[in-house]
Amino acid sequence: MVTELNESNFDSFVESNHIAIIDCWAPWCGPCRRMGPIIEEVANDLAGKAGVAKLNTDENQAIAVRFNINAIPTLLVFKDRVLVDALVGLRPKEDILSYVSGL
Amino acid sequence: METDVLVIGSGPAGIQAAIHASRRKVSVTVAGRPSASAAAGTEMDNYFGTGHVSGDSLIAEGIRQAESTGAVFTGQNVISSSRDGESFRFVLEDGTEVSAKAVVIATGISRRKLGIPGEKELFGKGVSYCAVCDCNFYKGRRAVIVGNESEAATSAEMMTGYASETSWVAWDVQASPVLVEKAESAGVRMYGSKPRSIIGEAKVEALELEDGTVIRTDGVFIELGAKSAADIAMDLDVMPEMDDTIKVGVDCATEVPGVFACGDVTGKPWQVAKAVGQGCVAGTNAAAFVKGER
Repeated sequence: MVTELNESNFDSFVESNHIAIIDCWAPWCGPCRRMGPIIEEVANDLAGKAGVAKLNTDENQAIAVRFNINAIPTLLVFKDRVLVDALVGLRPKEDILSYVSGL
Repeated sequence: METDVLVIGSGPAGIQAAIHASRRKVSVTVAGRPSASAAAGTEMDNYFGTGHVSGDSLIAEGIRQAESTGAVFTGQNVISSSRDGESFRFVLEDGTEVSAKAVVIATGISRRKLGIPGEKELFGKGVSYCAVCDCNFYKGRRAVIVGNESEAATSAEMMTGYASETSWVAWDVQASPVLVEKAESAGVRMYGSKPRSIIGEAKVEALELEDGTVIRTDGVFIELGAKSAADIAMDLDVMPEMDDTIKVGVDCATEVPGVFACGDVTGKPWQVAKAVGQGCVAGTNAAAFVKGER
């Protein structure tokens, strides 16, 4: 089960993971719904190596504004608390794993 | 309107599905515009038994055959779709509501990209291919919708509920007049020239049109063609593949009972011969499903 983030636990999640990958999504977004199961698999594959979580941008608009999110799905990638990338659009599991292995 | 089988798409796959379903004595309705088929406007030399033949003549003759078996061609695209218990519900461009017991998705592959400078570079920085997904990020900002068909019209109207200023660029309007009127009365500003480039460095700043008009904007939403097969599939609880194709078995059935797919939307080869072969299987099995035979 992938952790659902909100205003109260977002920062602590980023701070407590060496690498944090956050899937920004909304319920009415078709590509986001397709990303859901992919993120579940990514979370399983990266267990112990990276923290993987989800953020509903509809319910957490302040965070979306803070990270300048204009489109979803977007994967926010943090390394040592620093935002290193925002990957926009639906992408296969292999691409995400390969990206993370290069961090 | 109630129908046993709704075929979405009126190219070779959809027409063949309609012929085979209709011949099995179930009611068949066909959505989609024949002119939007990938076979329309093409010439082919590799289709069985015809020699050199035009896609247009194959489609026209196919529609005549299907109509003679009782299939009804609406000429309208689907603008919304949903699964409601054991039936499937759709709304067509003119507002007609259709309830179907089985569905054949034969939409072909959608072209989504404009292919203009700035489009790729600014994707996710103001360029979007999903107005429904991203409208919420444009509250109080400016947005431009690009596209000629009803999907663009409905996106433009929806965007007026979020953006401070919504423009719609359509250079060859194919959208239903009802939806165009709705968009205009919602306050959408219309432009009639083709896009030339998307301007901006770190984010979208403007859209330039071929007639020289420059529209200052924060977002460019590219909504080409009809509602995509991937969107329709998801509405019906069928998960599309990463490349937007729909996975089917040899029986052309998807994972959802009563939903079948055929033609280019199921993947390569993108050939009429394969499309009609699958259309035959999908139409036959959709009719069998309605009759409780599978």
